[in-house]
Amino acid sequence: MEEYAREPCPWRIVDDCGGAFTMGTIGGGVFQAIKGFRNSPVGVSHRLRGSLTAVKTRAPQLGGSFAVWGGLFSMIDCSLVQVRGKEDPWNSITSGALTGAVLAARNGPVAMVGSAAMGGILLALIEGAGILLTRFASAQFPNGPQFAEDPSQLPAAPLPPSPFGDYRQYQ
Amino acid sequence: MICFFLRAVQYTEKLHRSSGKRLFLPRVVVSKACLTTEPRWRWGLHERRTVRPGCPLGVPRRTVWTQGRGLQRAKEDGSKQVSVHSQRAETAVSTAQKVKEAGRDFTYLIVVLVGVTITGSLFYVIFKELFSSSSPNKIYGKALEKCRSHPEVVSVFGEPVKGYGEATSRGRRQHVSFVEYVKDGLKHVRVKFYIQGSEPGKRGTVHSEVKENPESGEYEFRYIFVELEAYPKRTIIIEDNRS
Repeated sequence: MEEYAREPCPWRIVDDCGGAFTMGTIGGGVFQAIKGFRNSPVGVSHRLRGSLTAVKTRAPQLGGSFAVWGGLFSMIDCSLVQVRGKEDPWNSITSGALTGAVLAARNGPVAMVGSAAMGGILLALIEGAGILLTRFASAQFPNGPQFAEDPSQLPAAPLPPSPFGDYRQYQ
Repeated sequence: MICFFLRAVQYTEKLHRSSGKRLFLPRVVVSKACLTTEPRWRWGLHERRTVRPGCPLGVPRRTVWTQGRGLQRAKEDGSKQVSVHSQRAETAVSTAQKVKEAGRDFTYLIVVLVGVTITGSLFYVIFKELFSSSSPNKIYGKALEKCRSHPEVVSVFGEPVKGYGEATSRGRRQHVSFVEYVKDGLKHVRVKFYIQGSEPGKRGTVHSEVKENPESGEYEFRYIFVELEAYPKRTIIIEDNRS
């Protein structure tokens, strides 16, 4: 299937940006709705209007800042993948740190370092959670060591080095 | 930091509203500096300023000389007031309140412990994954380096060679599939990942296995081979230490 053969990286940036925007808008919408509801004068119509105003004002802002964070993170991640040539958890952690640093650039170098540390630690925690989940999910399907007995399960398995060289190339 | 000092100054000011005028002038100067550096605190300062309607901007110069003594007096009276208040407050705390507070503190402690445990376990997992030499990620990294420096792989795939693992639904390919098993009392880890070069259409699967060395505890490669996807299936053996 050719669509899985497509490189995920440039398209992943748009994906992540949109996903982050949605998360920020919906989450921010829920929070601001409750907050606006509570910070309004007594009376259901007042409260509903207050909550709607709060959602209209603040939720897009939160969505926008989430989208900026997600888009920048994904861009740096893809650039690191391109530069390093391999996909690693290190890419995510470094991208998180650099994103935090870039987004705090207005507040001077000390704030950048602090923000970078926070971003890096946050991404490290997310990566750790992802790895834990994957390990738990895969541990639920005990494969059994059927490979243990025979390390060369593939037909094109490595043979002990023979004095005749690699004769399989002449098939 | 300046804003904290400001707040302390304003708090002592509140006890002496009449002497507030004296301290207003330096506060304005410092607060302006605060506004430019920390926009977050602007709200706090704004609220504080509107709370005191009676203080005009034009401070009468004749009362400036009493500023030092006034501040000291304000602090003394403040501390005196605080100590009197605490004496009265202590007698009002009853056993029921103490039990409630202890219960609340206990729940907070539990919450903090749970949070610290979860965070600690996440950190432990990520450190083990990134820094331990037996983690699949490290094995994948070392095997990829060996593949990159192998001339046959380079000639088939073209430089630069990049490696990746299994694709998740979001498109991230960081997870490398691996199997761990124990054979003859030694731990083996088998890793499988994919490589791709600059030659279009050429994709390969790299299979690699490490075995634990009983003396040194280090993990050594048993074999590394690259299997090409194109037909006929060719295999490039990079390392074979099975014997």
